[in-house]
Amino acid sequence: MEDFVTALCHEIELRRRDLQRDVTIETIFWGGGTPSILPLPFAEKIAQTIQQHFSVAPDVEWTIEANPGTVTVEKLSFYRQLGINRVSFGVQSFDPDELRFLERIHTADDAIASVEWARTAGFDSINVDLMYALPGQSIESHRRNLEQACLLQPDHISAYSLVYEPGTPLYHRMQRGEVIPQTEDKEAQFYLVTSELLAQRGYEQYEVSNFARPGKRCRHNLLYWRRGEYLGFGPSAHSHCANVRWSNVRSVKRYIETLCAGQYPIAHLEHLTLQQQLEEEIFLRLRAEGIDVHWFEQQYGVSFRVGPLARQWAHLQEEGIAVKSASVFRLTKKGYALCDTVTVELLHLVEHALPQAAETIL
Amino acid sequence: MEFIRNFCIIAHIDHGKSTLADRLLERTGRVSPREMVTEQILDDNPLEQERGITIKLHAVQMEYTAQNGHTYTLNLIDTPGHVDFSYEVSRSLAACEGALLVVDATQGVEAQTISNLYLAVDAGLEIIPIINKIDLPSAATMLDTVKQQIIDLIGCKEEEILLASAKTGIGIDAILEAIVHRIPPPKGDPEAPLRALIYDSMYDPYRGVVVNVRIFDGQLREKDKVLFMATGQVYEVDEVGVLYMEQHRTGVLSAGNVGYFTASIRRVRDTKVGDTVTHAHRPCDAPIAGFREVKPMVFSGIYPADSDDFEDLRDALEKLALNDAAIHYEPETSAALGFGFRCGFLGLLHMEIVQERLEREFNQTIVTTVPNVRYLVRRTDGTEQWVENPAQMPEPVKIAEILEPYIRAQIITPTEYIGPIMQLCIERRGTLLGQQYLSPTRVDLSVELPLAEVVFDFYDKLKSISRGYASLDYEYSDYKPGDLVKLDILLNGDPVDALSTIVHRQKAYEWGRRLCSKLKKLIPRHLFEVVIQAAIGSKIIARDSIAPLRKNVLAKCYGGDVTRKRKLLEKQKEGKKRMKQIGRVEVPQEAFLAVLSLDDEQ
Repeated sequence: MEDFVTALCHEIELRRRDLQRDVTIETIFWGGGTPSILPLPFAEKIAQTIQQHFSVAPDVEWTIEANPGTVTVEKLSFYRQLGINRVSFGVQSFDPDELRFLERIHTADDAIASVEWARTAGFDSINVDLMYALPGQSIESHRRNLEQACLLQPDHISAYSLVYEPGTPLYHRMQRGEVIPQTEDKEAQFYLVTSELLAQRGYEQYEVSNFARPGKRCRHNLLYWRRGEYLGFGPSAHSHCANVRWSNVRSVKRYIETLCAGQYPIAHLEHLTLQQQLEEEIFLRLRAEGIDVHWFEQQYGVSFRVGPLARQWAHLQEEGIAVKSASVFRLTKKGYALCDTVTVELLHLVEHALPQAAETIL
Repeated sequence: MEFIRNFCIIAHIDHGKSTLADRLLERTGRVSPREMVTEQILDDNPLEQERGITIKLHAVQMEYTAQNGHTYTLNLIDTPGHVDFSYEVSRSLAACEGALLVVDATQGVEAQTISNLYLAVDAGLEIIPIINKIDLPSAATMLDTVKQQIIDLIGCKEEEILLASAKTGIGIDAILEAIVHRIPPPKGDPEAPLRALIYDSMYDPYRGVVVNVRIFDGQLREKDKVLFMATGQVYEVDEVGVLYMEQHRTGVLSAGNVGYFTASIRRVRDTKVGDTVTHAHRPCDAPIAGFREVKPMVFSGIYPADSDDFEDLRDALEKLALNDAAIHYEPETSAALGFGFRCGFLGLLHMEIVQERLEREFNQTIVTTVPNVRYLVRRTDGTEQWVENPAQMPEPVKIAEILEPYIRAQIITPTEYIGPIMQLCIERRGTLLGQQYLSPTRVDLSVELPLAEVVFDFYDKLKSISRGYASLDYEYSDYKPGDLVKLDILLNGDPVDALSTIVHRQKAYEWGRRLCSKLKKLIPRHLFEVVIQAAIGSKIIARDSIAPLRKNVLAKCYGGDVTRKRKLLEKQKEGKKRMKQIGRVEVPQEAFLAVLSLDDEQ
């Protein structure tokens, strides 16, 4: 564990040293896995390393992911002292059977207690993660989970439809017929119940699976959906800087070894072509706050006001999939549920849309 | 000439024609056993080997020293093994004096064998019947029946039937001796004006067309000026030779022999099968009888999957036509599929071969429309019009009458399947012309059917209801009026020209309904409702609809998911290229052949 933290801090130092320009860190996100099981002295060391090598904005949004059952009020207070001001709990469900299906070790009471402790510890932004459309789950059960989550009055709720990711045990169980996914129509129903119920409770939807009270949107995640730049540290961490995307090796062992040898543990690196940038711009922004069409036209020379994109946009507005607007291409509640299909339509239409000259410059 | 024998092999698919040919080549030393690594040397097209049929003709000359001590030149002329090519069969038979009739000991005589056999008998060929595969355990029980069938068919004596196993080599020597002693030598006058029959030709990119001929009279030499009597074209001969496994240049070919020549001819279609070649300065009196122009019978649209590839497809078709004189194609435009070609084929197999060659040899990704026949439309104003594409059918009010081509089918089947086969024929608007018992358990049915009804999976159906025992052969008869209508398909109100079909009025409702339901299964859900309608003129006769898609989005997309997600979306975007756009509706390419598999629904 110590070797890992040393390597992690080393990666941060190395990256800072090689960075060509001064940057101010606006948001920090500790997540992926369960950072809340890290012994506090290690957490402190990592925090200090960041603060020592980077200038952190005074109004930084600093999130830690935590699983209920792995935190105490003391631990949470300690995080606050380090400067962490936002906590995200992987609650998933309040139903014991559903929690068992998701192989979660915590109980509904753990979840409720964790949120209370976070508030006691002084966190001013609390997120609760929920999971729905589980095999056999009823709409009613999901509605109860949402109601229960709202009772805790978190600032932010992320609600995810269960994904059967190829390669995961769940995927294999599905393939063997042991679990039967919900139908598309049923999933759509779950989805609409989620958006509508949360809207009634004052949570605005600002991305496919994310809902927040006014002023409480997650700035860190918004950065991803605006194609902002970020540095990722740790095994499997991804980064995006100056139109280059790269990711670290997955193996913790190799991660440590590579850094010990003074090298970056990079597994994949890709320079994005202008076409790829354009595609990312579309699919990332469409998931969240939409595309400002004037900005897009200026940036890429591709217009939503005339031609095939304009026609498609008009159809989507008529069908209640895109919000009626002249300036921002944004999806409605119904549209969010169809985001990937709409995205593929648009990607298809912009395939040859880039001015030729722009493509050859790169 | 006394020591030349020209012969071919008549057999049903799988009865062992190619294996027998290979064995003859091996026994006469034309190929060594070492060269026999791939079985069936003469079927050199991979498609031929896969399907076990011969598409392209081959000929090979062998030297055989008989038991009487004389050495004979044997010309084996291969024949195509499918009804689509029956004219080519008749021309290669005309180049021979004898035929080996090969019948599988376990299967007996099949329709295709009979029709080719009749062609051979009509051509006056000496028939040597051979029962093949006698080494198979089940052969013993069938042998007497098969012998009797053959005796009934050709009126030979039992002792004239040879027993063989081409696979193991049993009986090969007896066959070679029979070829020498029973098949008459060719007749002809080497001094008379040149008279040579073209029975095949193939394209060679370096020398132009290689023309395969049988010389009936006279001599063909290099530098001769030759006249093609049907086309009227004159060429100077570059090279003359005989065919071993490869071409073997001899400089001269004399009456009675079989060989090839080249004359810098650019296209295969300039050397029509059945045409007579003679000397320009000393022509023969009359061409060899039996020549006719080959006309396409089945038509289909062929389009590039990606409309940007139209020029590539044109090039591919041009190259393919260099070696396939039978294919016809001309550009056409479809509102649904863009720019493509309307292609004419000899029959369904020929169509499949062309499609497969385009995909395999020329790497084209193509969309093909449902095949159709050529209709003759008599308009109300008294004019006539040929229609090769259903989309071009005139409006119903302008049509006085539509005529469609008919075939005379010969179906040979074990008697227990007569019932279901007759039912199938009646469903397909067939009329029984006659039936003849070949034996107490096998019957030969003669049925007249509209070709259009055979185009749609008739053969597969026949095979499945007879468990593979019935065999089919047919010849084209004539055009007859039919109560036919054009059935259109509309997607969200837009007609899809490539999905229009011509059907019999009584079947239109059923077809429309089934076609709609089939398309409902093939077309994916869209962001909006898709309404599928079948219509005759402006009258909607069937309707189905596809409910809009309601959810398709990945729940999570954070910093670590961007690249993977982009690749996923790009893949989906690529998938859209395999779709054709009708208005806003995307139609997968297999939908354009949906009609062909309508029966699966039942």
